[in-house]
Amino acid sequence: MSQLAELETTDLMPDDDRAALAPEQSGIGEVSQTRLMIRRFRKSKLAVISGIILIIMYLGAVFAPFLSPNDPAQVDANYKFSKPSHLTLNGGPGICQVKQVIDPVTISSHYVTDCNNAIPLRFFGRGFEYKLFGLIPTDRHLVTVDKGKLLLFGADSQGRDIASRMVYGSRVSMTIGVLGVIIATILGSVIGTVSGYVRGPTDTVIQRVIEIIMSIPQLPLWATMAAVMPPNMSVTGRYFLMTIILSLVTWTGLARQVRGKVMSYANADYVNAAKSAGSSGSRIVLTHLVPNAASHIVAVSMLAVPTAILAETALSFLGIGMLDPAISWGVLLQDASKIDVLQQYPWVLIPALAVILCVTCFQLLGDGVRDAVDPYS
Amino acid sequence: MLVFIIRRLAYAVLTVVAVSFIAFFIIELAPGSALTEEFARLRAQGAEVSGAQIEAMEKQYGINDPWIVKYWKWVSGLAHGNMGQSFLYHEPVSQLIGSRLALSVALSFGAIIVAWAIAIPVGVFSATHRYTIPDYIITVIQFVGVAIPEFLLALGVMVAAVKWFGLQVGGLFDTQYLNAPWSMARFGDMVSHLWMPLAVIAVGSTAWLTRVMRANLFDVLGQQYVQTARAKGVPERRVIWKHAVRNALHPLVMTFGTTLGALISGEAIVSIVFALPTTGQALVQTLISKDTYVAATLLTLLSVLLVVGNLISDIALAWIDPRVKVTD
Amino acid sequence: MTDGPTDTIVSVKDLEVEFPTSLGVVRALNGVNFDIPRGKVIGIVGESGCGKSVTARAIMQIIERPGRITGGSIEFHRKGSEAAADELLSEPEDKDAATRSGGVDIAKLDPNSRGMRAIRGAEIAMIFQEPMTSLNPVYTVGSQIEEAILLHQTDDKQQAKAQAVDMLRQVGMPNPERIATSYPHELSGGMRQRAMIAMALSCHPALLIADEPTTALDVTTEAQILSLMRDLKSEIGMSIMFITHSMGVVAQLCDEVIVMYLGRVVERASVDEIFYNPKHPYTRSLLRSIPRIGAQRQEKLEVIKGSIPDPYTRLPGCTFHPRCPDYMDGVCNTIIPAETLLAGPTLHTVRCHLYSDNNEGEPDPLATEGASAGGQATDQADKQPAAASALKA
Repeated sequence: MSQLAELETTDLMPDDDRAALAPEQSGIGEVSQTRLMIRRFRKSKLAVISGIILIIMYLGAVFAPFLSPNDPAQVDANYKFSKPSHLTLNGGPGICQVKQVIDPVTISSHYVTDCNNAIPLRFFGRGFEYKLFGLIPTDRHLVTVDKGKLLLFGADSQGRDIASRMVYGSRVSMTIGVLGVIIATILGSVIGTVSGYVRGPTDTVIQRVIEIIMSIPQLPLWATMAAVMPPNMSVTGRYFLMTIILSLVTWTGLARQVRGKVMSYANADYVNAAKSAGSSGSRIVLTHLVPNAASHIVAVSMLAVPTAILAETALSFLGIGMLDPAISWGVLLQDASKIDVLQQYPWVLIPALAVILCVTCFQLLGDGVRDAVDPYS
Repeated sequence: MLVFIIRRLAYAVLTVVAVSFIAFFIIELAPGSALTEEFARLRAQGAEVSGAQIEAMEKQYGINDPWIVKYWKWVSGLAHGNMGQSFLYHEPVSQLIGSRLALSVALSFGAIIVAWAIAIPVGVFSATHRYTIPDYIITVIQFVGVAIPEFLLALGVMVAAVKWFGLQVGGLFDTQYLNAPWSMARFGDMVSHLWMPLAVIAVGSTAWLTRVMRANLFDVLGQQYVQTARAKGVPERRVIWKHAVRNALHPLVMTFGTTLGALISGEAIVSIVFALPTTGQALVQTLISKDTYVAATLLTLLSVLLVVGNLISDIALAWIDPRVKVTD
Repeated sequence: MTDGPTDTIVSVKDLEVEFPTSLGVVRALNGVNFDIPRGKVIGIVGESGCGKSVTARAIMQIIERPGRITGGSIEFHRKGSEAAADELLSEPEDKDAATRSGGVDIAKLDPNSRGMRAIRGAEIAMIFQEPMTSLNPVYTVGSQIEEAILLHQTDDKQQAKAQAVDMLRQVGMPNPERIATSYPHELSGGMRQRAMIAMALSCHPALLIADEPTTALDVTTEAQILSLMRDLKSEIGMSIMFITHSMGVVAQLCDEVIVMYLGRVVERASVDEIFYNPKHPYTRSLLRSIPRIGAQRQEKLEVIKGSIPDPYTRLPGCTFHPRCPDYMDGVCNTIIPAETLLAGPTLHTVRCHLYSDNNEGEPDPLATEGASAGGQATDQADKQPAAASALKA
C-alpha cells in the first residue's frame, strides 16, 4: 500500500521534473505548493483548453462592438425572422442577396436568394458608431457589408441581428454569474469561517439558516426573488440586483464547504501550536486558516459559476431575469420559447450554443482547478 | 428508530414553517400588491375602478395590515387548506394546486427513479472498466448531459420530436382527450405526453449521479475491505455488488436532497417549455402575473416536496448505514 | 536445507510483478525466490516499498490494477496427493496451471477463476495492516466471517453461524455471540484485528499471510495479537508468512527470515542466523538501526544512509549499491549479484558480491559501461576477498 502511495506522489510530476530527480534526493520538498498546483493544472489539457476558450470569449465581450456587424438594438421590421445570410465565395467572400417577393395570389411574402450578384464582405469597414473601451469613438467593424445586412445567424422577432446580439449578450451573461459567485464567495467565506472557527451556538444558528435556505428548490427561489424586482428598473439596476439574488442562494453551499475546511484545519497541530504560542483568534484565522482554505475556496467557487450562469439564462428566458432592452443570452432565447416559432425559424436557438460552450468550459476549468488544488478529494 | 423519525419529522415541520416565512417575506418585498396588478388588468379591459372600490377590496384582502397579520392570515389559510383565490386562474388555489402537485411529484420522483436506475449500473460499469473506450464514451456523454441546461434540451427535443418524428408535444393531453373522461386511452395519451419531459428532467441528474457513482465506487474499490473480500475467495461480481456498491451508495443517498432540489428546479422550467400544468409552471406564471400570494404558497409547497425528500433520505441513510447514530 | 518439495507449501520462483503507469513501468518485483515450509513462520522484512506487500498480494492474486505478474511461478502444494491439486483445477482453462511436482502454479491461474477462488480464503488466507478499514463497515462481523465459511465449507447457514461464533471464541473474544452481531465500528482496533484473524482462520487455511497485522496497533495489543497467532499456529498447524518491518516482531515469532530490498530477496536465513550472523550489508544496516536498551548513552543510532530511489529509476547492478557501506566500484554497479548459498547448519543464502566466489551473476545491461563490465568484474575478483575479510575483522 505504501508503495502505491509513493507512486502517486511521483505520478503527479511531469516527466521533465522527474528526470531531474537524482535517485538519492527527491525534489518534491523544494517545490512550492502553488507551483505544484499550477503543474497539476497544466497537466489536465481539457481544463487548459477551456481556460483559453473562455479568455477568447471574454475578449470577444470586450471587443463586442468591433466584432458586431450590426447594431444589436436596431429594430428592423423588414428583417423579421430573416434567415441567416447565405455566405458565398462566388467572386470573393460575400453574402447572397435576398429579395422579398410577394406572391400576388396568396399575398404572402417569401424570400428568394440570389448568389450570382453577391454582396462582398468588407473587412474593417464602417458601420454603426461606438466607443471602443467606452473611450475611443470609431465606426470600424471586423466585417461589414455595403448593402443589406450581414446576418450570420439570422434575425430575431424584431429583425435584430442575432449574431451581434450574441456577442453583446456575452457581456451580461458571462459576467453576471461570475459577479454573483464573487459576492457569494465573500459572503460564504466570512460566514463559513466564523461558523467553523467560533462554533457553539453561532455555528448552530448559521447551519440552521443554511439548511432552511437549502430546503427551498434553487430555481424557484431565484425566480421568486427575481420576480419581485420592480419591472421599471434600469438595465444596470436590474443587473446588480440579479447578481445579488444569485449570490443570496449560492453562498450557502460555499459557506458549508469553507466551514468544513476551517474545522479540519482548526484541529490541525500547527493551529494548536499557534494557540499555545499565544496567537490571537483573529491572527490564527488570518494567517493559518484563510490562506490554507483559499485554494479550496477558489476551486469550489469556480464550480459554482456554471450554475449561476445557467440561472441567469434560465430566468431571463422565463422573462423574470434580465428584460428586453438588456441583451443577454437568456433574453435572446426568449424568442425560442414558442414551439411554432422555433419550428419555423430554428436559428433563434443558435445563442444556446454560446451558453453550452461557456458553461462546459467553466465546468471543465472548475474541475481542473479542483483536481489541481486537492488531488485526493 | 421511532424516536429518530419523530425528531426528524418535527425538524422538517419547523423547516417548512421557516421556509414559509422566507417565501412570504420575499413576496412582501415586491412593490405594489397583487391588487394593483388586478386593477391594472381590469382597467386595461376597460372597466372603471373607483377609489371606493379599491379601498373596499384593499380592506377585504387586508392590504394595509401589518405584515405579521397578513402572514398569519395567509399561513392559517394554508394550514386549513384554504388558500384563497387566484387572480390569474380565477379559481380557488387549493383546486388549482391539487392536480398540479400530483403531477409535480410524479415528474420529480419519477425522474429521480429513472436517474438512479440508470446512474447506478452505468456508474458501476464505468468504475470497473476505467480507462476503457466505453468508459471514455460514458464520461463524454455525462459531461454533455451535465452541461446542457434543461430548458435548452427541452427546446431541442421538442423541435426534434415535431420536425423529424411528427410527434405532438406540449401539454398533458391531445386535444381530443382534453375534456374526455378518464379511460385507458386517455391515460395512455398522458403517458405519451409525459415521457419526454420526464426524460429531459432526468438527463442532467442522471449524468451527475453517474459521475458521483463512478467516483464513489472507485474510492470504495481501493478500500481494504474490498481486498479482504477478494482474499476470502468471494467471486468478483459479488465483491463489487455486495461489498463495494453497497458502500458506494451512501454518498448517493446523502446527495438525494441535492438531486431532488435540482429535479424540482428542472421540473419547473421543463414544464414551462412543454406547457405541462405543474406546480413549478404555475409558480412562474403567477410570478410573472404578480399573483403573489399564490406564488408564495406554491414556493412553500415546492419546498415541502424537497423537505419530504430530505426526510426520506435521512431515514434511508440511517436504515442502510449502521454507523449513523440513530439516537442523534 | 529443505527435505524435498512436499514439505514446502508455497515455492516462489523468479517472480516478477510490474505496474505500468502513465510515467513508465514500475518493476515492483524483479525475480523473487523463496519457499515457505509447512508449519513454519516466515518473516519478510524490508523498508516500505521493497515489495513485501506486493509479494503477498501476488500469492493471493489480488494485486491492484494495473499491476500484474509478468514472470516466474508461485507453486502451491496442497496437503495430500495430486488429486488435491486436480480438485482445484476443475475448470479446463486452469489445467495448464498444474505443475510437474503435483502442485498448482498460482501465477498461471486467472485471478478470478474458480480454482483461484478455491485457494483464496480456504487454502491461503490473508490479514491486513489496517484493522480499521479491513472489515466492511455495513455488515456485521459475524456475517462477514460466515461469508467465508459459506463459500468454502458448508451451505448450512445455521452451521456457518455457529462456526463463526466458535471461531470468534477461539481468537479470545469475550462474549462472541454479541460480537458476531455487532458492526466493525463498534469494536476497537485490537478486537477488529482479532475478528480479521477469526475470519482468516475460519476455513483452516494451510497458509496465513499476515501483512503487517500489528503495525497499526499499540504495543500491548500487538503483544496479545502476536501470542494469539503463535498459539493458533500450533493449534491449527498452518504456516504463516509474516510481513513486517519490525525486527522485534521477527525475533518473537518467526522461524525463518527473508530480507527484501527493491523487489529482490537479498538474504534468506533462519531467525538465529539473521540476528547473530547477518551477511548482507543491508541486513546488517537494518539490524544496526534498531535502538537497543542498554546501549551507550552518547552512542548515536545508526541509520541507513540515503533513501529508497524513486520507483521509476532502475539502478544497474546491485540495487543497494548507492547506499551500501561495502560498495565496490566496477562490480556492485555493473553486475547483478546471484544468490549464493552459504555453508552452515541451516539454509542461508545471500545476494551480494561480498560472498560470491567468482562474481557470478549476470552483467547488467543497464550498467553504463555495459561492454567492459565482464572484464572489470574479473579484475575486481581479486580485491573482493580482501574486502570481505576486512569486514569480518
